[in-house]
Amino acid sequence: MGTILKLEDICYGYTDGNYKREILKHLSYEFEEGTFYTILGPSGSGKTTLLSIMAGLDKQESGSLYFQGENLNDIGLNRYRRNKIGVVFQSYNLISYLTGLENILTAMTETDNPLPSNRKELAYALLNMVGIADTKADRMVTHLSGGEQQRIAIARAIAGNVDLIFADEPTGNLDTDTEKEIIRLFQMLSEQYGKTIIAVTHSNEVSRFSDHRILLRNGVLNDL
Amino acid sequence: MMNFFARGIRYIVRKPTKSLLLAITFFLIGNLVILGMGISQASDNAKTLTRKKMRAVVSYEVDYNSFWNYLDNIEDSDEYEEAVRQFPSIDRETAVRLSEDERVIAFNYMQTNIAYTTLDHVPLGNESEDRGYGSYIDENGEEHEYIEPNLMIYANFYPDMIELEEGTYTIVDGRWYSQNDIDTAAKVVCITQEFAEVNALSVGDTITISNNSPSEFEMDRSTYEAAGVTEDDFNLELEVIGIYSTPEDVDPSSENFRWMSPYESPKNRIQMPMSTQVEFNLQMVEIMSKAHPDWYEGADMDEIRESSYTPSKVIYLLDDPLNVDEFVADHTKELGEYLKLNANNDTFRKMARPLDTMSFFANIVVWIVVINAIVIISLVTALTLKTREYEIGVLLSIGVSKLKVIAQLFVELIIVAFIGFAGACLSGSLIAGKVGETVLEFQTASDAQYETEDNNYYVWSDSTDYFTTVTQEDLLSEYHVAVSPLLIGEIFLLGTGVVLIAIVIPSVMIMRLNPKQILLEQN
Repeated sequence: MGTILKLEDICYGYTDGNYKREILKHLSYEFEEGTFYTILGPSGSGKTTLLSIMAGLDKQESGSLYFQGENLNDIGLNRYRRNKIGVVFQSYNLISYLTGLENILTAMTETDNPLPSNRKELAYALLNMVGIADTKADRMVTHLSGGEQQRIAIARAIAGNVDLIFADEPTGNLDTDTEKEIIRLFQMLSEQYGKTIIAVTHSNEVSRFSDHRILLRNGVLNDL
Repeated sequence: MMNFFARGIRYIVRKPTKSLLLAITFFLIGNLVILGMGISQASDNAKTLTRKKMRAVVSYEVDYNSFWNYLDNIEDSDEYEEAVRQFPSIDRETAVRLSEDERVIAFNYMQTNIAYTTLDHVPLGNESEDRGYGSYIDENGEEHEYIEPNLMIYANFYPDMIELEEGTYTIVDGRWYSQNDIDTAAKVVCITQEFAEVNALSVGDTITISNNSPSEFEMDRSTYEAAGVTEDDFNLELEVIGIYSTPEDVDPSSENFRWMSPYESPKNRIQMPMSTQVEFNLQMVEIMSKAHPDWYEGADMDEIRESSYTPSKVIYLLDDPLNVDEFVADHTKELGEYLKLNANNDTFRKMARPLDTMSFFANIVVWIVVINAIVIISLVTALTLKTREYEIGVLLSIGVSKLKVIAQLFVELIIVAFIGFAGACLSGSLIAGKVGETVLEFQTASDAQYETEDNNYYVWSDSTDYFTTVTQEDLLSEYHVAVSPLLIGEIFLLGTGVVLIAIVIPSVMIMRLNPKQILLEQN
């Protein structure tokens, strides 16, 4: 298995008055393809900041990121988000005035990756795969439960035919049963479809089922 | 496909309250814009249509008003006399140069004069037709009546007259006089069909005209006889070479019809080369110089001959009535002092004043509405954007470019704007029509109330014959506020412009958005 994402000497901090707080300190790490990672750490340790940098939503102060050997600066953050990765958020972040299907189609429309011409059928298939029936797929997302919305968010994350999925507290708003179903979904994506999952979580349940657990502490990553 | 366009449409349909409120805003704006633009366009159309109905003629003439005003301001009597001696006259070279303008399709360079004939004139049928100018008692104690002229000579220096170009005159027999006839001062004449019929004349016949009243000869017979001048010396024999028809006639319903003399009827008009007319005048000068040599003492006959060619009217027929103002503006500077190109514009401008005033205010309304619309739509969009930051953050997080986010916003606004404007087009024509008519009525009434008489000197001139008489009623009858396809196009174009400008501030706001911040705040 090759490296899908490489972090090299990443630094990030912010100034609070006269005091400069360093969140990430010369952080380096390599994520392997087809692996389900969970990043753990105490509150305020910089987990979400790290995920934002890795997902191309924010920029590090120094250091470099490489996706499959290519520097993110060369790819461009917008193109990176569009074609290389998918993101699942704690609060699902679906577009409220679209149906589940339309949320998936939005991601499919935006990607430059090659997709089959029958995108609608593919979108239904993806939704079925994450446990959303066709009838629910055509409903407005605001009319669905939290678990159903998170499933749709996962389907949207992979809709662009990407290999790397980031998840920020993906089960934070869900009950225990639903949490288990979401974990199973991540496992399936990793094991059966070779996707790399990097999830930031507080949940022991999520981390217990991941392939690799990493602790973020004092601005650096350490394998557990 | 779920691109920005599809998402925009879904937003409009699935957030109907917001879309409806925005559409109502655009509807109200649209109505005001249609009101302004409709009134303005209707005013312009009314002026253009009326202009098109008017004959495309421009008269090159002496500006008597300004010359009299100039004379009024001279206090020194010598200077006054000198100024009177330098009475302005039409410049022949300028007149010909103007006729070479590509917009001129025909021009009349002519003299008109009254004449006497013993032939019958075409009857007018008015009560003063056979009246005399008065009477006198001769040395034998007999009373004689003055005889009034019964013919009007139209003498042109070029054969291609405006009336022939326009088809007002149609040759029914024979021919019109040619350039050769003009060059040789041929004694030829063209007469109207009615005059020919009254006198049983046909082509090849001759008629005799005189430029002196027989009664006047009688009054001064002894002087003339002493100078060897006979009554026949005042006569000119002309060969009829053409008979033409003309629809021109006197108007029996006109105010001055009852006082009209026979020569004022277009049916009693005779057409001849200007050179022939000049020679006829010079013949008179020659007679008078024999009878009254003291009148012509020291006079230069060549100078008299040259000045005899000064036209009494120069009229240009242009290719398009809408070119008239431009033609006047282009050539006015070439004219000498106290000369002008008259396009009957003063009357037209005066008539169009209510329309101009209304159009002016309508345009101001449009600009105020447009500026307000930009501000309102910018504010509404910017405020709406705050509530949509989350959605924008999501779109940015999945790689949608900021430009596409702006494009979606534009699509949403433009569709709603078009819906609002479409409604406004339906209601706007009714509102604009009613408001326009009411304001116009008020404006016309106000203008009439405050109308003041211009201090114009009256100068007799029959050049006005060439101008089409239009009244303010004619002009206002052309005023119709209608939502034409052109107006609809303009309104939608304006709407697009408003939306484009209104979206600038929200776009700047979007460009400054950071997806991480938005999404973290939401989480």
